[in-house]
Amino acid sequence: MSTLTGTGTLLRFMLRRDRLRLPLWVLGMGLMALYISTALGTVLDEESLPGMAQMAATPVMALIGGPGYGFDAITIPRFFAGLYGAYLMLGAALMSMTTLSRHTRVEEQSGRGELVLADVVGRHAQLTAALLLAVLMNVLVAVTMTGIILVAPLEPAPGVGSTALFTASIAAVGVAFAGVAATTAQLSPYSRTCTALAGVVLAVAFLVRGIGDMSRSQGGDLAWLSWLSPLGWAQQTAPYTLDRWWPLVFPLLFAAVGAGLGYLLRSRRDFGAGVLADRLGRERAPSWLGTPLALAYRLQRGALLGWSVAIFLTGLLLGAFTDSMADVADSLPPEMLAVMGGDGAADAFVNGYLGFMSVYFGVMFAVFAVLAVQSLRSQETEGHTEAVLATAVGRAQWVLSWVTVTALGAVWLAVLAGLGEGLGAVLVTGDGSLFAPTLLGHAVQFSTVWFFLGLAVALYGLAPRLIGLVWVLYVVGTVLIFFGPMLDLSQAWLNLSPFQHTGQHPATDVQWLGVTVLSLGGVALALLGAVAFRRRDLSA
Amino acid sequence: MDTLAVEAVGLTKSFGSVRALDELDLSVRTGEVHGFLGPNGSGKSTAIRVLLGVLRHDSGRVRVLGADPWRDAVDLHHRLAYVPGDVELWPNLTGGEAIDLFGRLRGRVNQRRRDDLIDRFDLDPRRKGRTYSKGNRQKVALIAALSADVDLLLLDEPTSGLDPLMEAVFQELIRETCARGTTVLLSSHILSQVEALADRISIIRKGRVVETGTLLDMRHLSRTVVTVLTDRPTEKLVRHEGIHNAHREGEQVRFDVDAAHLPAVMQELATLGVRALTATPPSLERLLLRHYGDTPDGVDQP
Repeated sequence: MSTLTGTGTLLRFMLRRDRLRLPLWVLGMGLMALYISTALGTVLDEESLPGMAQMAATPVMALIGGPGYGFDAITIPRFFAGLYGAYLMLGAALMSMTTLSRHTRVEEQSGRGELVLADVVGRHAQLTAALLLAVLMNVLVAVTMTGIILVAPLEPAPGVGSTALFTASIAAVGVAFAGVAATTAQLSPYSRTCTALAGVVLAVAFLVRGIGDMSRSQGGDLAWLSWLSPLGWAQQTAPYTLDRWWPLVFPLLFAAVGAGLGYLLRSRRDFGAGVLADRLGRERAPSWLGTPLALAYRLQRGALLGWSVAIFLTGLLLGAFTDSMADVADSLPPEMLAVMGGDGAADAFVNGYLGFMSVYFGVMFAVFAVLAVQSLRSQETEGHTEAVLATAVGRAQWVLSWVTVTALGAVWLAVLAGLGEGLGAVLVTGDGSLFAPTLLGHAVQFSTVWFFLGLAVALYGLAPRLIGLVWVLYVVGTVLIFFGPMLDLSQAWLNLSPFQHTGQHPATDVQWLGVTVLSLGGVALALLGAVAFRRRDLSA
Repeated sequence: MDTLAVEAVGLTKSFGSVRALDELDLSVRTGEVHGFLGPNGSGKSTAIRVLLGVLRHDSGRVRVLGADPWRDAVDLHHRLAYVPGDVELWPNLTGGEAIDLFGRLRGRVNQRRRDDLIDRFDLDPRRKGRTYSKGNRQKVALIAALSADVDLLLLDEPTSGLDPLMEAVFQELIRETCARGTTVLLSSHILSQVEALADRISIIRKGRVVETGTLLDMRHLSRTVVTVLTDRPTEKLVRHEGIHNAHREGEQVRFDVDAAHLPAVMQELATLGVRALTATPPSLERLLLRHYGDTPDGVDQP
């Protein structure tokens, strides 16, 4: 009887539980690779490639992309690996982190883990089986992606060895973060805290190598920072350029250390407990927390805060990119120009870029709004709504309180994005006249968000199980606004996208009619949802 | 004393093809503690949620404190408080925050009583909702409900996670609450709790109330268990009308007697030279078992 007894059985059991989740992750990652390689192969050609490479070699792109190996003699595979590799790595890391959490801490927190442990199962069997599962998933992802990239319409055709290295580097990041999650899963008794801690490690790893790569692109002396991050190690393999395998030793060692630390901490703590103690909170509610509106705010505050920070920083970063865009406008492929609404002249192109970014943010905020309605739905399924309605709070009042917070949050985020983007643009160009139009163009994006919000609320009231349908319209709308112009679709088709109707200020005028119709439509739909909610039973 | 705090007549509620309430009649008198008994899935929680106005009934008539619980839910909820059997708290609000929040959303909160209740239930209000055990979550909901100045308490298995000490505190508090004139509808699995607290009892089975009354009334309708040791043989006695289930236990004889025949049986018994006798009124458990489909060994159908 060792601490590993039962690992094999548990692994088979996890595979059984994940019989849908595992293939979805593997296929999803594969489809992402397929989509990126197909899009690159379609859009880029011999003439446009150098322009894109020039854009990709700027410090900002180094920060969000990678070290850019081989960009001076660019090919499509190098462009793919250098600019998009990091995002596939982030995907693999998220896959590993959620897998580890799902099969260790979530089980432990729910109490199911205790039943398993009471059986003939060693103390470390659960963690070991989860790690094996994560490694297996990453290997499957690497194999699937290799096959997909090799059959994608890429010119010149990528080599088998280089492609295997590229996908292996992605899988290595996945395995490294399985190790991180193995450690963080021991730290707190709550799975959400554990995953959040692993997420912080991922964000830091991304940022550290970003600063290193940015420094490298400028010939600075901080390039060594790229060698302190699992993402950095994986990118230093430089697939399709240097083709070095040896940097992959580091993420694997890193994973081993993470797993080892996980085992050590697991041996030293009690079942169900964490290494970090839970802090005590308030003995009494603050005086403002006494209305449904205040409660709705309190419950959405965390998400709003996270979104605010992320949106402002993204705005600043994308704004700071304005200068580079002006420089490369001449050499960009015409398809890219069409998407951004510019005609090639640098000035128009800057406006086109800033206008396009406003819609880009609109697309992001819609996610915030729909997620907020889905969390209203969770309030109901988790039993909180019943507790609120058992007090003197009316049904419509509760729904509208929640939605009001979300709607105001959307306006706040839109303004914040405009502030960040405008500030970034003014700082790098020194042209103060960009600020006000950028702010306005971003701010009116709240209207599209209100429309999606209203639609989700209407479904929540009428048929809560169908809220997910909003995502269908969301995906269609997003594809149309981003890729419609590339595909030469007629205006009638493009108009189907809700994102089409705000205008892309400052590239075009704000379409006030569209803004009014979308926002009032959203309000009307939300009211419909609130009325419908008064008529239906609560569901558990 | 005869006004009704809760009055339901012919209440029916279906979920899809499942009929959860089937012509349920229930009346709770103002000022009483009304025990609501039934097995899992018999419709107790559904009934209470209809009274709360969270679920809408399909047909029948229901009044709570004179109001329609669905239409007048908000006004009504100023005057009543509810504790479910499975209390869910927001993971990152503390127990104290949740208690205050519920109090303020309902209105009529009594601050001094809130602090006193936290003390008596021995709850640490500074801990986050996700760190509480089931019992502690229930304490939070109980404190929030009991600290309100309301006319009616709807309690749906409110103590299923409490330890015996806290159970005693709960019973004490319900008596105090009643002394202030509050009506209590108490659904429970814990028969001793209902026996100790309830003025009247309704037994629900398959969405229908099958019996209502005081425990004493119900005992009159049921059988007393008699165990007796006599000098003379009991063969003739056990064939007496109203005696069931007679059997020998060592030297003693044990049988059930219908309440109506108890006097006659006792007279007969006296002639046999009683050396030892115990007579046990039917326990609530036996009363319940009479109404539930599966009958355990030794208890036959009336």
